[in-house]
Amino acid sequence: MNNPYVPNLVVIRNITTENEANDIKTFELVFKEPEAMKNFRYRCGQFAEISFFGAGECPIGIASSPMDEDCIQFTVKKVGVVTTALHNSEEGTIMGVRGPYGNGFPMEKMEGRNVVIVGGGFAFTTLRSLTKFILHEANRDKFKDVTVIYGARDPGELIYKYDLEAWGKRDDINLNVTIDRAVPGWTGLVGFVPAILKEVAPSSDNAIAIVCGPPIMIKFTMPVINELDFSPEDVFLSLEMRMKCGIGKCGRCNIGNKFVCKDGPVFAYKELEMMPKEY
Amino acid sequence: MENIENSIREVAEKLLREKKVDLIIGYEQGTLPLRTTPCFVDKVEDVQKLVWNASCDVNLSKYVVGRKEKVGVVAKGCDARLIVVCAIEKQFPRENVVIIGVPCLGVIDRKKIEAKLEDKEVLEATIEDEQIKVKGEGFELVLPKKDFLCDSCLTCKHRNPPIYDVFVGEKVPEITEANEFAEVSSLESKSGEERWEHFKEELSKCIRCYACRNVCPLCYCKMCFVDQTMPAWFGKTNDLSDTMIYHIVRAFHVAGRCVDCGACSRACPMDINLRELMKKIEKIMKERYGYEAGVSFEEVPPLGEFKMEDSQEFIK
Amino acid sequence: MFPMKWKVIEKSKLPVLMAELAKENEVFAPVKEKSIVSFERISSENQAYLDFRNTKKPPKEVFFPQTETLFTYRTDKKNVEVLEDPAVKGKRVLLGVRPCDARSFALLDKFFSSGEDKDVYYLEKRKNTTIVGLACNAPLSTCFCTSMGGNPFGKEGMDLLLQDINDQYLIETVTERGEELIKKFPWLKDAEKADIERAKKLSEDAEKAVKSKVSVKNVSEKLDRMFDDPMWDQIYQRCLGCGVCTFLCPTCCCFDILDEETEEVKRVRIWDSCQFSCFTLQGSGHNPRPSGKERMRQRIMHKFNYFVKNYGESFCVGCGRCVRECPVNLDIREVVGAISTRQVE
Repeated sequence: MNNPYVPNLVVIRNITTENEANDIKTFELVFKEPEAMKNFRYRCGQFAEISFFGAGECPIGIASSPMDEDCIQFTVKKVGVVTTALHNSEEGTIMGVRGPYGNGFPMEKMEGRNVVIVGGGFAFTTLRSLTKFILHEANRDKFKDVTVIYGARDPGELIYKYDLEAWGKRDDINLNVTIDRAVPGWTGLVGFVPAILKEVAPSSDNAIAIVCGPPIMIKFTMPVINELDFSPEDVFLSLEMRMKCGIGKCGRCNIGNKFVCKDGPVFAYKELEMMPKEY
Repeated sequence: MENIENSIREVAEKLLREKKVDLIIGYEQGTLPLRTTPCFVDKVEDVQKLVWNASCDVNLSKYVVGRKEKVGVVAKGCDARLIVVCAIEKQFPRENVVIIGVPCLGVIDRKKIEAKLEDKEVLEATIEDEQIKVKGEGFELVLPKKDFLCDSCLTCKHRNPPIYDVFVGEKVPEITEANEFAEVSSLESKSGEERWEHFKEELSKCIRCYACRNVCPLCYCKMCFVDQTMPAWFGKTNDLSDTMIYHIVRAFHVAGRCVDCGACSRACPMDINLRELMKKIEKIMKERYGYEAGVSFEEVPPLGEFKMEDSQEFIK
Repeated sequence: MFPMKWKVIEKSKLPVLMAELAKENEVFAPVKEKSIVSFERISSENQAYLDFRNTKKPPKEVFFPQTETLFTYRTDKKNVEVLEDPAVKGKRVLLGVRPCDARSFALLDKFFSSGEDKDVYYLEKRKNTTIVGLACNAPLSTCFCTSMGGNPFGKEGMDLLLQDINDQYLIETVTERGEELIKKFPWLKDAEKADIERAKKLSEDAEKAVKSKVSVKNVSEKLDRMFDDPMWDQIYQRCLGCGVCTFLCPTCCCFDILDEETEEVKRVRIWDSCQFSCFTLQGSGHNPRPSGKERMRQRIMHKFNYFVKNYGESFCVGCGRCVRECPVNLDIREVVGAISTRQVE
């Protein structure tokens, strides 16, 4: 029987600081065993349990696209014991990865349809994986129009600026990057994500919407999504929960009879409506 | 006893009717013999649920902390003292609480009865002034109540609540002859090593359920030191040294505030004698600072302030 | 089905049998230490004690210890070596398990073996252990096993069942594994018809003696519609939020995973409780279960609704430990009873 609690070893190949506040960093990890890298087949929207030996484990969404085959990336915000240890480490440090876990985004459902991606703040990390995957030349023509709305508090808090710049230059993606309040020097959109979504008003016709963000953003975005006439089974949210084992055994991430680590973290809005409001 | 019970109901009804309080916290009959359970009454007609007897052992001041509404609390001496301590520590506005003082002749220690009966189960029990009648499958016993009271009650110096807003019943005579710190002397006669071994043995049974902490009205921290992660003060496993740190630190956190109500020992499912260390600390507080918790609204617990006349002989 | 189905052993000879077993197995049995009876490993230093009603701690800790090392690791910054702490090798015998507790193994098995990622630590220990149950002649007033699908002489979750028929134990073989164990003791006498009849009578009496009945029939379905019921505002008020009910419950199995660096560096898992305030606290500071109300609701819903949805049975065996040990006498039987009689749209 395979032991699901033992992580595979990885090395930090690169660390990129993503934001001005210096508390969000992207870690590029390479498996020590090439076999382990080959076996780590993941989907957009999945997460892994990152181990920092001596500090513990924490669940982080996978930020790299499955099309990147030589490494995996995780974008981590410094909030607690494990993430602080991560932030204090350097390239060459050995860590552990368990996974991939979770159900990921419903790629099959999205094929042949327009895709609307709405993300706020730090939760954009798995949406970045999704966008990169869709835009990859091997995949792009499987999907129709792609609209991305991504907002952060201020320009310093925007992550993946290098990707945003590259995407902005493409004509096969409608990219809308916004910040909460106007700041000198910013020439882009200004407004909270729900407001920008309302302005952009992507059509819900033959479209799937993927929404990720802090609870407050979700709260105000969902009414706009409804107004735009998206059907509840075509809207998907990725939930955040405190998770430990990642495999539905430690018992803490359940919503009703479902485990966010196993049956989620991606849930259709229609599904969520039938689940207890405990998230 | 019955008079007190009826009086409690009358007082509760009056307080609710006159809207002096929004809620009465008292005891109601439990689902098992010799047990009562905390009762929260906000309707006049429900005051009939309130009971009073020697199995009213839970410290109700626990349920006052954090409440915004006005409450009336049925309080034994120890409960009333803890309400005073928590009020001094600003856990609720003093004017929000009506202390319904009740004289107490001691609460029953179920563990002593269980030990006496071994594997026999009490199915019916009656508590009278001097005795406890217990009945079960194939047995019927009359037990002298004084032999089955909690140890903390045997040397209690405040059978009448020292502070109250309403007093129910007649004041009872206080115990004067017993040396309240007698049980500590057995600990004191041991060498440092022996004491350590003794505590190691006792605490090795601990399953870190935190019943002791959660039943204690003084443990109201929103983030207990146990749960802190940055920094993590000690381990969360049931490794013995971590367990000992937990109990020792908790004893120090309640030092000077603990009134020896005994709730922690009663709550412990593993029958650990938790009172021992607390009692020794209580003795030190009395000897060194002349302080007794919860008898006055004017005095702050000694570890919460500094007085010029505080003993300083430990500074070398 | 089993040619050696019915054997008997003199009570006085049981220590001999256990000593024999101990030669090839680690033997776990109830041991009395002052006032507490719990399962311990039997060695020359202690003795099994079978005159208990039920043990203080449930036997789940034999398969799911309170603290368990998942693996150790050696690290020198640039290199980490993970030394997998394998599940226990060696065979075990767990003796003296009441039928309610044995049923808990059947439920825990379902949970720990579900899905693609199985809990290897629990399952390996289960695989290597023979369970010898001890029927209940005298259930306590707090026992409600019969309401939860069990029985004082129930055989679910065990390989052999000892039945106390006065000076002897009747040994009933339940599984092939049980039969294998019995074969090793050819000196065991065959049971007489009278022994089996006596046990049958005791079984009937014991079932009748379970007076506490909890109506669970419509509870699971009703709970579907009760998530926002105002009843929860009342139920939790006396709850202290400690871990007594969850830690002493035979089926509760939530855990936390942490790294410890003492002499060894290792990753361990420890019992955790949905009743603790930090159980679902997120790094952002958000807590989906911010008060005792949500946590109490979770406990009841999990045991009597969520687990039923996922596995078809309630996650409670009716052992009554939570009822007896709750420091404030919050009685789960009362809660479930109130739910079963509640009018819900």
